[in-house]
Amino acid sequence: MGGERLKIILSLTPPLLIIITLFFGGIFYGFLQSLGYQPAIGKYDINFSAYYNVMFSERYSKLFWTGLGLNLWVSFASTFLAAVFALFGALAIRKTFFAKTVCNFIYSLNLPMPHLVVAVGMIFVFSQSGLLARFASQLGLINSPGDFPVLVRDKYGFGIILAYIWKEAAFFFIILMSVLQSLGENFEELAQSLGANRWQRFRYVILPLVMPNLFSASIIVFAFSFGAYEVPALLGVIYPQMLPVMAFEFFLNPDLNARSEGMALSIIIALIVMILVVFYFWLTQAKIRKD
Amino acid sequence: MSDLKIINLVKNFVGMDRPAVNNVNLKINSGELVAFLGPSGCGKTTILKMITGLFAPDNGDIVLDNKSLLPIPTENRGVVMVFQNYLLFPYMNVNENVGFALKMKGIDKNVIEKKVREMLDLVKLPDIGFRKPKQLSGGQQQRVALARALIASPRLLLLDEPLSNLDAHLRDEMRDLIVTIQKKLNVTTIFVTHDQEEAVLLADKIALIFDGELQNYTSPKNYYEQPKNIKAAKFFGGVNFIKSKKINNEFISDIGKINYVGENINDLNDEINITIRPENIKLSKTNDFDHNSFKGNIKSIIFSGTHTRYKIIINNLELECSLQSLGIKNINQGDEIFVHLPKDKIWGMND
Ligand SMILES: Nc1ncnc2c1ncn2[C@@H]1O[C@H](COP(=O)(O)OP(=O)(O)OP(=O)(O)O)[C@@H](O)[C@H]1O
Ligand SMILES: [Mg+2]
Repeated sequence: MGGERLKIILSLTPPLLIIITLFFGGIFYGFLQSLGYQPAIGKYDINFSAYYNVMFSERYSKLFWTGLGLNLWVSFASTFLAAVFALFGALAIRKTFFAKTVCNFIYSLNLPMPHLVVAVGMIFVFSQSGLLARFASQLGLINSPGDFPVLVRDKYGFGIILAYIWKEAAFFFIILMSVLQSLGENFEELAQSLGANRWQRFRYVILPLVMPNLFSASIIVFAFSFGAYEVPALLGVIYPQMLPVMAFEFFLNPDLNARSEGMALSIIIALIVMILVVFYFWLTQAKIRKD
Repeated sequence: MSDLKIINLVKNFVGMDRPAVNNVNLKINSGELVAFLGPSGCGKTTILKMITGLFAPDNGDIVLDNKSLLPIPTENRGVVMVFQNYLLFPYMNVNENVGFALKMKGIDKNVIEKKVREMLDLVKLPDIGFRKPKQLSGGQQQRVALARALIASPRLLLLDEPLSNLDAHLRDEMRDLIVTIQKKLNVTTIFVTHDQEEAVLLADKIALIFDGELQNYTSPKNYYEQPKNIKAAKFFGGVNFIKSKKINNEFISDIGKINYVGENINDLNDEINITIRPENIKLSKTNDFDHNSFKGNIKSIIFSGTHTRYKIIINNLELECSLQSLGIKNINQGDEIFVHLPKDKIWGMND
């Protein structure tokens, strides 16, 4: 019925308008800024020089490309490791009532904790002046706390990765537990009676059954860790620097001209995430078709 | 050869006040199709899971070809179970589902492919190898599950209520297919059901289980004519039970002396119940019988199309008799009648 449909469209219009304005308006305005359009400081011409500056200028190119490398490394490593830890953790304790209850509780507490708090916790525990370093030197395992390996504010991003693993493993864990719960054990029992050993049951039954959920969760975690700012800002070093931190520094720059570079970099980050997600979808779809 | 012996099998679960499986003993000969029959919760699935090794028994032994299965892990037992809800792997197509067991054995791809085609032909499902389980009907899924179970030539095939999710006419078709394939491959098979008719139509022997205890284990025919106890007789529609006492090798009951020649006569206690199928009782208006003839009165007559059912009271005992088509002419409620219990058709039970 045309009238009904019109009614629905009309009633949806106000919230839709707000969403469209905030979301697409924001993107559009940011995009304009990245193209150098900044009426506030009298710049009206449109060009790609901010993008060029960020990626290829003498001043920023090294920072950008090492930052991109670090970003990819940190996001892939932390997403992958968090997923692996959560998967093995969930498989190990899913049949034990007590461990399951305890872990569910700890992880549920962990979930709403801000990333910032986790990052501070990492410094407290893993830094060279942290809990572990002091323990180790007290126990005589190392001569002084300064001999403790640099795990926080290190140039390989270990501290950042650790913080992300701790935080995102909880997210994976909770999703996996509910998936495993709903699957039950029938498929595994069936596979076992068809001759599948422990490894084969993991490889050919559990993994393919949880994969769709694990993959979707990975996308969320990856996209988040690729664009998030606070953990690398606290646990990272000046060089190499992760891209979101670099973008934020552009914004902090009192020179308003740097705004364009900041916006350009933000849009590059968003584009990279999108390309990776599309590529990933294409990859899994191709795999599904091949299967 | 795959002879299966189940010996004193016991399984307890926490939270149950009786054993889920209580001291079950039975022997299945190679190539036989045996039905486990019993109401919901009587322990059928639990026994199957112990045979596959998914549950460990609390007591007793399971012996296949004179070798205990208990120390062997499930995946090496060669005992395949088909679950009630098919459980086709949703991420695999039909070919991959059927070939699963061979793939686990690391068998060559081409060999698997050929064998999969053979199995799909066997269950009469050629040409659907590349479909996903989602794209199959319930009956088709059931056949794929069967093909998947049979591909590795299991020593023992366990089917847990394979027909309960199918509608009536598919059930008939699948039942015939299962029997045909089972006889063709000569694979020793246990088939779980709670439908008495299905068990009778399918099985060489039926194990009747109540509350974890084996009540009776014999051929379908014997359940009708020579049941082991009242419970077994009742489950198969038995209605006539005559309490009798053995005195000096004669059986005395409320309706009089009963001439008994059953082959179990020497195993019977002093107090027994004698049963007879309604269709084996003979009626006559005159006393034409030379033995086991009793005079009674007709309580009711019900015509059901193919049969006429009579309820007859003899000395306070009610017996039911079923005669073909219209039964006896010119007989009415309250009339006197002679009831004959042929001595080769009556059967005595200790409990
Ligand atoms: N894993 C288990 N833990 C505890 N109790 C169980 C378990 N499995 C089965 N039981 C109990 O054991 C009894 C027998 O169960 P089983 O599944 O063997 O019955 P069944 O004869 O297969 O019934 P149905 O026809 O409903 O499938 C039931 O009372 C059930 O509640
Ligand atoms: Mg069952």
